[in-house]
Amino acid sequence: MSLLSAQSVARIDELRRTEPTAQCALLTALRLMQRERRQIGVAEVEEIAGLLGLSAASVDGVARFYDQFSREPTGRRIVSVCRGIACYLRGAEERAGQIGRALGVRPGETTADGRLTLHLVECIGDCDHAPAVMLDDAFLGVVTPEGLRALLEQAPTDGGG
Amino acid sequence: MERILTAQAGHDDQRTLAAARSRGAYEGLRRALDLTPQEVITAVTESGLRGRGGAGFPTGRKWAFIRPQPGQAVYLLCNADESEPGTFKDHYLLERDPHLVLEGVCIAAYAIGAHTAYIYLRGEYASLGRILESALAEARAAGLIGATLLDSSVALQIRMQLGAGAYICGEETGLIQSLEGRRGYPRVRPPFPAVHGFVNQPTVVNNVETLANLPWIMTHGTDAFARIGTEKSTGTKLISVCGAVNRPGVYEVEMGYPLSEFLDHEAGGILEGRALKAVIPGGTSVPVLTAQETEGVTIDFESMQHAGTMLGSGGMIVFDETASMPHALATMADFYAHESCGECTPCREGTGWMAWIIARLLAGQGRPDDLERLLRIGNNIEGRTICGLGDAAVQPVRSIITKFRPEFEALLPAVIDSRPDWQRHEHGPRTARHGDPAREATLSEPVTGPPTARL
Repeated sequence: MSLLSAQSVARIDELRRTEPTAQCALLTALRLMQRERRQIGVAEVEEIAGLLGLSAASVDGVARFYDQFSREPTGRRIVSVCRGIACYLRGAEERAGQIGRALGVRPGETTADGRLTLHLVECIGDCDHAPAVMLDDAFLGVVTPEGLRALLEQAPTDGGG
Repeated sequence: MERILTAQAGHDDQRTLAAARSRGAYEGLRRALDLTPQEVITAVTESGLRGRGGAGFPTGRKWAFIRPQPGQAVYLLCNADESEPGTFKDHYLLERDPHLVLEGVCIAAYAIGAHTAYIYLRGEYASLGRILESALAEARAAGLIGATLLDSSVALQIRMQLGAGAYICGEETGLIQSLEGRRGYPRVRPPFPAVHGFVNQPTVVNNVETLANLPWIMTHGTDAFARIGTEKSTGTKLISVCGAVNRPGVYEVEMGYPLSEFLDHEAGGILEGRALKAVIPGGTSVPVLTAQETEGVTIDFESMQHAGTMLGSGGMIVFDETASMPHALATMADFYAHESCGECTPCREGTGWMAWIIARLLAGQGRPDDLERLLRIGNNIEGRTICGLGDAAVQPVRSIITKFRPEFEALLPAVIDSRPDWQRHEHGPRTARHGDPAREATLSEPVTGPPTARL
């Protein structure tokens, strides 16, 4: 039984055939897995290793390098508050605290019901909307905790691959 | 002023192919295809275009290094991994005018003989990746890109790759490693990417903004481009300005434009009428300028260098009189400690120690020689690493401590705790990218907390 959807397996298979090397497909495979499974744990690493003909150790070594791959399951939604220098200058710490209190979760943590994870992240390149916040892949710019809560009620948009 | 990059970006429908073409998109590519690849390289060399990603290397010269052996494939990689703190200019272009970027990719690929080009976007730009994907799909469907470029006999496949959250992948060899499905550990040069690049083939890595200049150069000519700007910095520059200004945003200015005028006019002046304290002109990896030092400086490579800093990425960060430079420096030092890839010891260890020592200064636990220690650690990193991240990490530390030293001295405690290290602290410094699950939890603590709380 595959952990990944048939669609993602097909996409990885296509990349494996069309990229210069099988390993060139690894980052995309990890992204798809992270999106669907919300984590890159042991089982996820082994499945990708099998799909691409790589060792589990090398897949794990790559996965651990990138911040967007998580060993433990993340929440279904991800709120990222930017702590970069531009956002720092416009009150990022205060905003992160407000959002954390409003959502009942500390940065780096996931709610007990698995609904969302709150991250403090390095500069996200949205510095003209500081303090900047992202919800999944969407740039929200300046958002109040109330505004964020309203957005969390809505269905997520396509998470991208 | 002639706008080279942003002339069409203001139109709401510019993302669609029909609207973009009605405003001249892909005309530059048509002109390029009328020339030989060598003629395109010569034209870009003569235009004086220099890379807009930070280093300012002449684009035509970079291309001219490509000399493939028989049987080798040449690759063009578009660097859209924009991650330099305070930089969001490529974000603007990708979001507003994706066809301009794609056209630039086509022109560069044609010039160097690449039949496959990759656009590597940072993972956080996934939404911009979708904009670019739909623009690319439209261009493919219209027969502009793919088996043939326009109606030429030249084939070009453009592929997209999203990163996954690692600053180092914006470094060109780190980007290549990431594209190959590896950790973004930069490679030792030589051999340079032009010889051994992506999958060991000849490769050029160009920044988004660099490529976006190419259509205009092709349609308006080399001389017209070279007439804009200064002698050694031709053309325009996108400046993304943020921090303590009234109108943060992306502005296209002619090279040579006065910095003070930019701050007053484009950026709308300092927030709430406060006084300017400092400016970092090109992302946190370049030295800071004090308010006084900004006088007479113009926005171009030479003037910035003369002032002891760099134009860098054009990510301009503005500090007003209320900013605490030690706290701001702590934010920057934390960034480099987090983003050091861990490959080279001086950077991996040094960035962690710098961040940690700044944190203990802020916590009132500094020691009399900590400022010298920070500068010494910087000297021991600089020039001793494979890539430029280590050097970059040193620039804010050295320049801010040197230029705002009294603010740091004021943090030193009146009574010195003379106990040895092992009695004072339970933990060592925060270290680089080792997948430490406790890391994020520590970042949640206010930067003013005691060092032990942040570790």
